[in-house]
Amino acid sequence: MKEVNKNVLKDAALRLMFDMKDEEYETLLNEFDIIIKQLVLMDEIKGLNDIEPMSFPYIDESFNLLRDDEEIKETLLNKEEVLNIAKNTKEGQIKLPKVVN
Amino acid sequence: MEKELHVLDLTIEEIHSHLLNGDVKVSDLVKKAIERVKKDEFNAFEAYNFEEALKEAEELDKEEVPSDNLLFGIPYICKDNLSTKGIETTGGSNILNGYIPLFDATVVTILKEKKAVLIAKATLDELAMGGSGKSGHKGIQLNPYDENKESLIGGSSSGSAVAVASSVTPFALGSDTGDSIRKPASFGGLVGYKPTYGLISRFGLYPFSVSLDHVGYFTRSVDDAALLFDTLNKFDENDFTSSIKERKAIYPIKNNEKRKICVIKEVIDSIKDEDILSRFNYLVENLKKEGYLVDYVSVDPSILKAIYPAYIIISSAEATSNNANLDGIKFGNLKEGNSYPEVMFNTRNEGFSELIKRRFILGSYALMSENQEEVYLKAKKVRRVVVNTFNELFEKYDAFIGPASPTVAPKINQASDNFDDTYLIADNYLAIGNFGGYPSITIPLGIKDDKMPFGVSITSPIFKDEDTFIIAKDCENILKMKNLSTKTKSIILKNMKEAQ
Repeated sequence: MKEVNKNVLKDAALRLMFDMKDEEYETLLNEFDIIIKQLVLMDEIKGLNDIEPMSFPYIDESFNLLRDDEEIKETLLNKEEVLNIAKNTKEGQIKLPKVVN
Repeated sequence: MEKELHVLDLTIEEIHSHLLNGDVKVSDLVKKAIERVKKDEFNAFEAYNFEEALKEAEELDKEEVPSDNLLFGIPYICKDNLSTKGIETTGGSNILNGYIPLFDATVVTILKEKKAVLIAKATLDELAMGGSGKSGHKGIQLNPYDENKESLIGGSSSGSAVAVASSVTPFALGSDTGDSIRKPASFGGLVGYKPTYGLISRFGLYPFSVSLDHVGYFTRSVDDAALLFDTLNKFDENDFTSSIKERKAIYPIKNNEKRKICVIKEVIDSIKDEDILSRFNYLVENLKKEGYLVDYVSVDPSILKAIYPAYIIISSAEATSNNANLDGIKFGNLKEGNSYPEVMFNTRNEGFSELIKRRFILGSYALMSENQEEVYLKAKKVRRVVVNTFNELFEKYDAFIGPASPTVAPKINQASDNFDDTYLIADNYLAIGNFGGYPSITIPLGIKDDKMPFGVSITSPIFKDEDTFIIAKDCENILKMKNLSTKTKSIILKNMKEAQ
């Protein structure tokens, strides 16, 4: 397991596109102290290494995983309604702030 | 507090009878519900739909009340992580302030077709993460049973639970990822239901942890919960996890056949509250008298204690990924910046609260390449062990039952020991229902010191939702707590005492 320290957590935060205050990292480090100890509880289960990880509660034929390849006749969004809720519009389009110099 | 009961204080079935008899109009119900939302003292609501609701009610007043649609004209509340077209839906997070969805969640569409009337959106823990009802951007949701306003209702469906417990409406929609309907149902003396994974559509639900999220609801009676199940239990082609299995109506709930249920000894052993234990024993003894076979079975405590760590890892890891779309461009309350990454950073930095950031960092830590095997995959292995264990139990039993919480609602600043069995087992075992996608219900079990309610939980195998309801109804008949709310508490207490 990767060592937990403020730098590792700050690096994770920045990759997630946010930051926290110093005292908030302290709270998080304390929280990690508890969580790491709780994670050890998972090791108490016998034979865990031989188990397949489980991603969904059950997988069977009853899931609607793939739809039939049919033409979608109606689009979900109505243009007028979309423009009505946009903060800024211009000539029938949503105007976003300039983000590329 | 109003001294006389209003029709709105009854169950959906009873309100429907009054509508049918013409004793009350839809607009009377809607006006009363709006009045109660306006008087809310527990901080339960986000956005309001008053004008539209009154307009709808006036239209419905002109229609003949259909005898085969029990939801006609029934006011309800919707958790604010379910999309409602034209109504701001923030998920309790500042990052979505001002976001107005362009479509309804499928469950909202169905209720609209049934002519139920949406009154308001209920607040929640931010983006449904957190089980306290403390973390949303509206602040803390208080428990309406505590006159001193010192207790929590629990979360994350905190506002929905307050609404039904304080009789604002007879039902409310919620969502449940670990126990987010069933735990607040316990603290609020309510029926709280989550179905088999795949039966009720999640289209329009803000995803927290897609492999664990369920849409469900709160009511004040098991019959009401069953009739809502029939209404919402529909295939939805917009939800890729919607089951294509044929649906079968279960309302009205059938009579009991002889059933076999079990109680997990370790759950009972980890509860210290004598009032909860004694009331649970009372229920078990009476179920036996009714012809139930009730066995106390042992489950390896190491498996039960690993549920919470596995849950927090899986849910945080999925949340980290599921909420990556909240970047200010695709979704979210955009904060200006000089570049695309700066816009994203500023939006997310200002939009998420500290708690959410901590959950995302934990999720991200679990997903780091060095930790995949040791943390993330291990949690998913634990999930399978838990599900295998309970699937095996379900070969012998129709359900397992146990107190839905080890205590009554906690006080606002009450701390819990993160390592004792009460916390690791009794306070977190309801997540078994999410790990395995099992149908699971909480119904009221008792009222401690005649003040604070607590619940009992019943969980059945997947697709056996009907069994959950049959057993729950038998329990409700024994416990005499049907239609408990703050408005009916004194009547219920009298009925309980007479029965005991």
